[in-house]
Amino acid sequence: MLTSHLLPDAAFRVLAEGTGSPATIRLLHEAQLSKHLMLLHAIAEAASPSGAPAEGLAAFRAGYALLADLQATGEGAEEWLLGLPHLGSWAHDCLIRLEQGSAADFAHFACLVAAAAIRSGLPFELDVPVRDGRVQLPGLGFVRITDECSWIRLCCDGDRVAVGPQWETNRQYLVPDDGSGGSIPQWSGTPMIRAIADGLVWHVLLETEDRYLDRYTLPMAAGLSAEEVRHWRHCAQAAWEVLVQNHRWAAEPMPDVVSVIVPLTPQCDTDLVSATTPAAFGAIATSWPPDPVTMAETLVHESQHVKLCGVLDMVPLIASGGEKVYAPWRQDPRPASGLLQGVYAHLGITRFWNAQRHAETDPDSILRAQVHFARWRAMIDPAAQTLLRTGCLTEAGVRFVDLLRAQGKLLEAEPIAGEAREIAAQAVLDHRLTWQVRHVAIDKAGVASLAAAYRRGESAREQTRPRAWIEAETRKVDPTVRSRLLNMRYLAPARYRELCAGETLVLSEPDRLLVDGRVTAAVQAYCDDIAASADPQPDAWIGLALALHQLPPSPVQVAFASELALMFDVHSHLGGRRNPLDLASWFA
Amino acid sequence: MTSQEQGLKTLIPDLRNIPVDRLAELGSSALARSIALYRERLKENGVPLSSFQARI
Repeated sequence: MLTSHLLPDAAFRVLAEGTGSPATIRLLHEAQLSKHLMLLHAIAEAASPSGAPAEGLAAFRAGYALLADLQATGEGAEEWLLGLPHLGSWAHDCLIRLEQGSAADFAHFACLVAAAAIRSGLPFELDVPVRDGRVQLPGLGFVRITDECSWIRLCCDGDRVAVGPQWETNRQYLVPDDGSGGSIPQWSGTPMIRAIADGLVWHVLLETEDRYLDRYTLPMAAGLSAEEVRHWRHCAQAAWEVLVQNHRWAAEPMPDVVSVIVPLTPQCDTDLVSATTPAAFGAIATSWPPDPVTMAETLVHESQHVKLCGVLDMVPLIASGGEKVYAPWRQDPRPASGLLQGVYAHLGITRFWNAQRHAETDPDSILRAQVHFARWRAMIDPAAQTLLRTGCLTEAGVRFVDLLRAQGKLLEAEPIAGEAREIAAQAVLDHRLTWQVRHVAIDKAGVASLAAAYRRGESAREQTRPRAWIEAETRKVDPTVRSRLLNMRYLAPARYRELCAGETLVLSEPDRLLVDGRVTAAVQAYCDDIAASADPQPDAWIGLALALHQLPPSPVQVAFASELALMFDVHSHLGGRRNPLDLASWFA
Repeated sequence: MTSQEQGLKTLIPDLRNIPVDRLAELGSSALARSIALYRERLKENGVPLSSFQARI
């Protein structure tokens, strides 16, 4: 009788709490082995001669038979293959193409199984595809082929490997390149990083050749020079030391969570972009991280996504669909499933910065860590509450989010320095208000009704608030120099000081007053700008809210923090040219 | 499905000890249902193809 993988309650609990020992991660990994077998079976069932090239199908079937042989050896050789993100990624594409009724790349499976057979020393003979002059052996590397051909015979006698009639070598040389060995003609081993710190070892491949792992929003880096590989090794080693020394909870399971890094090509040099896909458990993608601490944070961030993808494959936590909502780390409205991924990643990120702030010694680095910690911990509970309100969570999903949320509460109890707390609160408010002005649409008739009530001098408290909903872009709000500068206070304090000392900053007068900390003058200047213009001034409204936020608490401050988009629309409806504080006082 | 004492019975059938060439013998079983469920999730979640596969 067929049974299912079981996720013990203790494992569910620690995963929901954002951690997980190597033993817990192995439960996810084992489920992935079964998932990949399931997908292979589905592909085999769907693979039919109609519409698929005969050679590709024959290669797939030969690969399938070789996988059966690998299993029959009883040595566990197939586990390496079934655990490869390369296999998951290819199988995902294959299944999607079959769903779409288009041609799937069956032949590639022969390369995948051949790699596993070579690795284990199992004799075989297979015809494999040649793509771009290469025979790919996913997880190991590739052989360059000098003949112009689209197929070639690949043989292994258990010791020697031959590719076609003219090239052969000992199978033990066909391994990833860890930088320690010599070169084998025509063989390129996949670059491997071997990071070691305090006895903990992490092996991870740098994959830029597997076309099925080129599946992220940014393109995979096109090959890596020897110098670039050295840089990656150096940065990964330094990041590993950061994790092992200060974040043992993340370091210990890392070798079981992340086995492949896909370097990405960023759109500009200063961008750090990282990503994970549910199609490739065990792989993460990232552009070049600027420093070891940032790389360590990226590893924690993406490993959280990998773990959650593994859980979601096993247990449905969330239904698709539902209204898009606010995610405090994104500019765009997100579906509930995206918010769950985000809040889970940010629980890990918050825990990372909580420890890192105690590990840093340089004042700027301490400030950066403190503000990151203060900013992201403040987001966990509101984001979890938003998730619960969407109604998209399953019963298990509600429990998962409750456990996650409890961890966020524990982190909120940690003491934090006043300056860091204030910078973080301003960054949080700036992001939320900018998002609201950009995405919260409000019923026009309701706005007109409120404007009329204001003109008549009626009480705002007696008025029904108009219907509001979320749109892709309701009002245009460009990224401001002010926001970038305010964030620079903690992300790059030295650069911030340099810019403030120079004369190159292009800031409006109210923004300059705000950045200088002359808050009362900034409030007046924003009000003057808004009242002087017949055109909507969303940036000035947000700036005004930020300035008011630094003054002692008041009802007007609360109105700006909670009803900014509505006040902005009512003010615009009234034709502008009036003091926004008068309107805010009415709302308050 | 939830049993906090035992844990959660998951959507993934345990195939680790079943030879790949025997999977077909399971026929229209729980395995087929799991595959159908997974394919449904693929459609719902809309995880895109790799850049390469999307191009060809």
